[in-house]
Amino acid sequence: MLEQLLIFTRGGLILWTCKELGNALKGSPIDTLIRSCLLEERSGAASYSYDAPGVSYTLKWTFHNELGLVFVAVYQRILHLLYVDELLAMVRREFSEIYDPKRTVYNDFDETFRQLRREAEARAEELKKSKQTDKPVNNKKKQGQVQKAGSDKGSKKSEGSLATDGGDGDKAKGHKLENGHSNGNHVEMEEPRAGVVNGKENTSSNISAFDVSKLQKRTKGGKKTDTVVNKGSKPDPKKKATKKNRVWDDAPPETKLDFTDPMDGNGSGNDNIEVVAANQGESMMDIEEIISSDSEGEVDDNVQKDSKPKKKGWFSSMFQSIAGKANLEKEDLEPALKALKDGLMTKNVAEEIAEKLCESVAASLEGKKLASFTRVSSTVQAAMEDALVRILTPRRSIDILRDVHAAKEQRKPYVVVFVGVNGVGKSTNLAKVAYWLLQHNVSVMMAACDTFRSGAVEQLRTHARRLQIPIFEKGYEKDPAIVAKEAIQEATRNGSDVVLVDTAGRMQDNEPLMRALSKLIYLNNPDLVLFVGEALVGNDAVDQLSKFNQKLADLSTSPTPRLIDGILLTKFDTIDDKVGAALSMVYISGAPVMFVGCGQSYTDLKKLNVKSIVKTLLK
Amino acid sequence: MEGMEQWKDQLEQLKIQLEPWKIQLEQWLHQAIEYLDQIPPIQLYAAIAVLFISTLLLFSIRLFKRTKSNTIVLTGLSGSGKTVLFYVLRDGSSHQGTVTSMEPNEGTFVLNSEINKKGKIKSVHLVDVPGHSRLRPKLDEFLPQAAGIVFVVDAVEFLPSCPSVSEYLYDILTKASVVKKKIPVLICCNKSDKVTAHTKEFIRKQIEKEIEKLRASRSAISAADISNDFTLGVSGEVFSFTQCRNAVTVADASGLKGEVAQVEQFIREHVKP
Repeated sequence: MLEQLLIFTRGGLILWTCKELGNALKGSPIDTLIRSCLLEERSGAASYSYDAPGVSYTLKWTFHNELGLVFVAVYQRILHLLYVDELLAMVRREFSEIYDPKRTVYNDFDETFRQLRREAEARAEELKKSKQTDKPVNNKKKQGQVQKAGSDKGSKKSEGSLATDGGDGDKAKGHKLENGHSNGNHVEMEEPRAGVVNGKENTSSNISAFDVSKLQKRTKGGKKTDTVVNKGSKPDPKKKATKKNRVWDDAPPETKLDFTDPMDGNGSGNDNIEVVAANQGESMMDIEEIISSDSEGEVDDNVQKDSKPKKKGWFSSMFQSIAGKANLEKEDLEPALKALKDGLMTKNVAEEIAEKLCESVAASLEGKKLASFTRVSSTVQAAMEDALVRILTPRRSIDILRDVHAAKEQRKPYVVVFVGVNGVGKSTNLAKVAYWLLQHNVSVMMAACDTFRSGAVEQLRTHARRLQIPIFEKGYEKDPAIVAKEAIQEATRNGSDVVLVDTAGRMQDNEPLMRALSKLIYLNNPDLVLFVGEALVGNDAVDQLSKFNQKLADLSTSPTPRLIDGILLTKFDTIDDKVGAALSMVYISGAPVMFVGCGQSYTDLKKLNVKSIVKTLLK
Repeated sequence: MEGMEQWKDQLEQLKIQLEPWKIQLEQWLHQAIEYLDQIPPIQLYAAIAVLFISTLLLFSIRLFKRTKSNTIVLTGLSGSGKTVLFYVLRDGSSHQGTVTSMEPNEGTFVLNSEINKKGKIKSVHLVDVPGHSRLRPKLDEFLPQAAGIVFVVDAVEFLPSCPSVSEYLYDILTKASVVKKKIPVLICCNKSDKVTAHTKEFIRKQIEKEIEKLRASRSAISAADISNDFTLGVSGEVFSFTQCRNAVTVADASGLKGEVAQVEQFIREHVKP
């Protein structure tokens, strides 16, 4: 059952909670949701899982951007409540009608909510039943045929809508609009959440409510997990493929692709077909709908490129800019967002992250009123700027010197471990950090724990000699974890304040080396795990950081694994205005950029200037 | 002399040329006066009054801006109770509770406790800035027009959060807009109704100690990456709030219980009724 449903303002005042449900929530799921999801520009996601000792909740939410309201539903994770999305949409609709910024108590909403909930539950129940009765009837009749026909039709349809540009595009748009209306606001709201609903809901999707199941199928898109192949998810990826091809070149190759694909499905995946066919009852209808909604994106693009400038006269756009547009809708935002995403990607932001950011910005703007004398693009730009500043502003203190002093008081050395892939400049920047610390009257010791690469110890020794600081080394072929441990003991003995541990570079997929790193970190429990990444990296930044974090978490033997605490961005002087790696890394890990290496000499170590980065990113 | 003659001639000619215009103008004037006579005098007065009032309003707005503002900024770490304090000051109750703020709360109102007071009371513009560290840049938008800052501290969970509290306070106290305008700061120890709450004196001392440490580490950072514009305190002495150029005071409060008298007093001191 639903645990709780809250309505609160973006300012943080709870306007209404369901007293009837009355269950006190364990822990603070709402605050956690806000802090680690909504404020981290991840509000484009579909749901959030909250884990606390003894409970695990799933939270779903929706915004009313114009009124600045947030609606959150909380329920136990083990229950797959399928009416929640629908219920939230209905509550949103009803509540926005009675909302008044001056009012803070809405006791009269209780009754409305009770009704809405009953309605939603009843509908879900009904659909569940009808689905269950439907299934056996359709089960074994003309399995292969219909499946084939269905998918054929699907591909043809998509072709049709793809091949002809203007006219068909308009038609499809009309269809889409109709579709949107019949589904109500709800579906449109869900669109930015693509690809986040995971496999776990997959198993239950055949008993899901109508809207919801459709939705899930759509959101599943590329990420299909094939145990229970839904009616729609089969043609889905195909369409994705054609969509991409469509952008790259013209018709001929893609027709080929389209015809091979269903054959492929028939030929190879026998098991799949049976499962697919078992559900075929509604599949044709669903396929149709999916096509219309799926081609929506590209049709939109076409429409925007081709017909929009023609349709919208100079005067009407002028008028709109003066009067302020009523409410921003997804279609209005799309071109601006696309331009912004492309802009971010030319600045070397990983594609995945640019996409997520745009979704989040879209979610925060949809339904908002456009102010007078502003354009959509500038509004989107401003929202994105806010979001970027928010992401890049460090969540925790990055004042290392203070932590060093705190450690000094406890008579412990402050241990920093430098990790990263090969050749990003770990040792060089370790020396720079050492130099910086030395300037602030902190006694530093280096630990050469790169016992792998030839010359690594010598390299560090050279740095140590030039900086006149002690170095702890044990030659090669030693276990780095043990070397680090001895180094720390040595530092405690001779009273060094900071130990900088150099490790061997390793690729994030190299399991044995990652295990060794995990051991080193677990054994020595450093104060700071610094990930060294080069600013030149593009899409790989996401992979590197997420894998490093993942491996550190997976391979650690302790229940509370240490993850990456901070980032050192190197080779920043080589990238001109392509500063996207900073954003990618911070977004994916949540760790702040603590240092920026920007040159060849010891002095070339800077702090990240958030403002200038944001400015460069949006230039 | 001839030149003068010519000038005079030209002038005469001009006058002759202008004559019809003059007549035209006079006619228009007559018409206007007639038209005015037709309008009922009340409407006329009303129009004049509207004109007068609007200009007065414009001027007064400018005057008000120039004089001391009535903005009080509530700030502090996330979870210290700023939003509750905001609503207690505004409505006298925290309603049904609050969650982490994502956007600032703003309002211009007469303090709840003074609603029943007679006489002219200046309303207060109160801003509750979210405490989440990602949203801190928002604070800079409000500081320039602030007449006072209420820095809210969680008195119960004080010790674990002490370093971050001090760091945030240090950042605020060294901001150029705060130091230059000498904006007074009130450190408000919230949740003082709880049994385990620390006393305000203890909190003040702990923060002073922590800021002393910060001073050492911050001043050490090389000049290029100093984000703070001013250094705090007198070098060579142990830091205490009395060394600040702006007044820093400490107060107790309990948002949930509605005990906010000291905060109200602070607001009244700096937003004169």
